[in-house]
Amino acid sequence: MHLQRALMQNRKMDLWVELVQTVSGLLLVGFLWTHMIFVASILLGIEAFNTLAKFMEDFGLLPVAVIFIILAGAAHVGTVLRRIPGRWQEQKIVWRHAKTIKHHDTWSWLFQAVTGSAMLILIIIHVFVVVYAGINTELSADRVHSWMLWFYIVLLLLAEYHASVGLYRTLVKWTNMKRRSLKTVLLIITILTVGLGLISLAVFYSHGGSI
Amino acid sequence: MNPRQLTFQIFRYNPETPEQQPSMQNYVVEEEPGMTLFIALNRIRETLDPTLRFDFVCRAGICGSCGMLINGTPTLACRTLTKNLPENITLMPLPVFQLLGDLSVDTGTWFREMSIRTESWVHSNKEIDPRAPEEPMDNETALSIYEAERCIECGCCIGGCATANLKPDFIGAAGVNRVARFMLDPRDQRSEQEYFDVVGSEDGIFGCIGLMACDDNCPVGIPLQGQLAYVRKKMASAGWKRK
Ligand code: HEM
Ligand code: SF4
Ligand code: SF4
Ligand code: FES
Repeated sequence: MHLQRALMQNRKMDLWVELVQTVSGLLLVGFLWTHMIFVASILLGIEAFNTLAKFMEDFGLLPVAVIFIILAGAAHVGTVLRRIPGRWQEQKIVWRHAKTIKHHDTWSWLFQAVTGSAMLILIIIHVFVVVYAGINTELSADRVHSWMLWFYIVLLLLAEYHASVGLYRTLVKWTNMKRRSLKTVLLIITILTVGLGLISLAVFYSHGGSI
Repeated sequence: MNPRQLTFQIFRYNPETPEQQPSMQNYVVEEEPGMTLFIALNRIRETLDPTLRFDFVCRAGICGSCGMLINGTPTLACRTLTKNLPENITLMPLPVFQLLGDLSVDTGTWFREMSIRTESWVHSNKEIDPRAPEEPMDNETALSIYEAERCIECGCCIGGCATANLKPDFIGAAGVNRVARFMLDPRDQRSEQEYFDVVGSEDGIFGCIGLMACDDNCPVGIPLQGQLAYVRKKMASAGWKRK
């Protein structure tokens, strides 16, 4: 025991931070999947998408969603940052360690940290664009029908990967579920959600420029 | 069929001669039927290089002194058959523990410190009469304690854990499993708050990020995922109630 540690001992803190990290992560997964289903309403036609967008606007759900993502995102990033090896020396240790022991779940954690950090920037851009430019079929389709298509594809892949690994991590930490079956189920969900996202993007792309 | 010629790439470093850089040295050994790494390493020391340092005691998977990274995987050398390995075999010492030289590390000091920090003894102020018959314990409890007690302190779960590699004070899966053993023991009178003081922190269960390298690599197959989840839930509930 050292002086600073003895003085700092607020043991409940470590539990709270861990809980905030996990709960905010789970909320974000819930948000992500709801969001992807809403976006997929474009598959039912332009009408359906516009109706949903208007519904969200009329009931003031858009600001609610934006505030939610900012709060949950800030809570998640704030708590999770403590786990990302910050010093150069630590970075060297984790990457070397992962390469040495060739262990699948260790790699997936590193990718979780990398996809998370990349998403932090992309999500901020995404939220800004949506808030300042707005949402309706025309705007969205034109956005997708441009260089921003790549932005959306990358964000989709990063987010689904991160969500799926995060869910896996949470379940593995708190339950004794069989990890092999968990991986299979989550892989199927990820393929489905990525597929749904890509199809939605394709439909937007085909509408782009024509409406 | 001709026996295989195995090429061992072995980590060499002596902390007492720090001017010599760590390096990987190659040794070629002819494979024999039923050869374990214990046999192969002794063959190298007897016929090729008497200076090579490594540890074995029981050579039967009981003492836990021969843990090392075999082609990267932390496991026991005495229980690893060369026939299950490719022709090129890389051997490195377990990380985290103090390196004594080549493949030899000091796991003992680490485990002793962990035992003291987790207070690994039955806490009880009950008078014990050494001549009275022992109090019986129901079979299920005894078996669940025994499950955790099987740990041979080989350190594979510690060397393989990225968290333990980064944070020297992290007690790792072996430490958490140790605490689980006492939590399950009805003779230990510690309250859940007392356990929380021991493991309810970033150096204990809340430092674990769920990589499961421990669970994947424990050579005696202790269900570490379950042990970690058990302690995590118990400590979350204790922390929740804590004033
Ligand atoms: C925006 C920037 C983000 C960053 C920098 C980030 C980073 C991380 C990191 C490093 C972890 C591992 C934490 C650990 O193992 O202790 C993690 C866990 C997790 N993340 Fe994210 N993430 C971000 C966004 C998201 C989003 C948008 C979602 C939802 C789709 C999400 C869901 C999760 C979940 C469920 C976990 C598991 C929580 C746990 O293990 O306790 N994260 N995140
Ligand atoms: S689950 Fe991962 S972080 Fe936790 S003790 Fe095991 S290897 Fe270490
Ligand atoms: S829990 Fe398993 S891997 Fe860890 S020290 Fe004990 S026997 Fe070795
Ligand atoms: S020598 Fe005892 S466990 Fe390998």
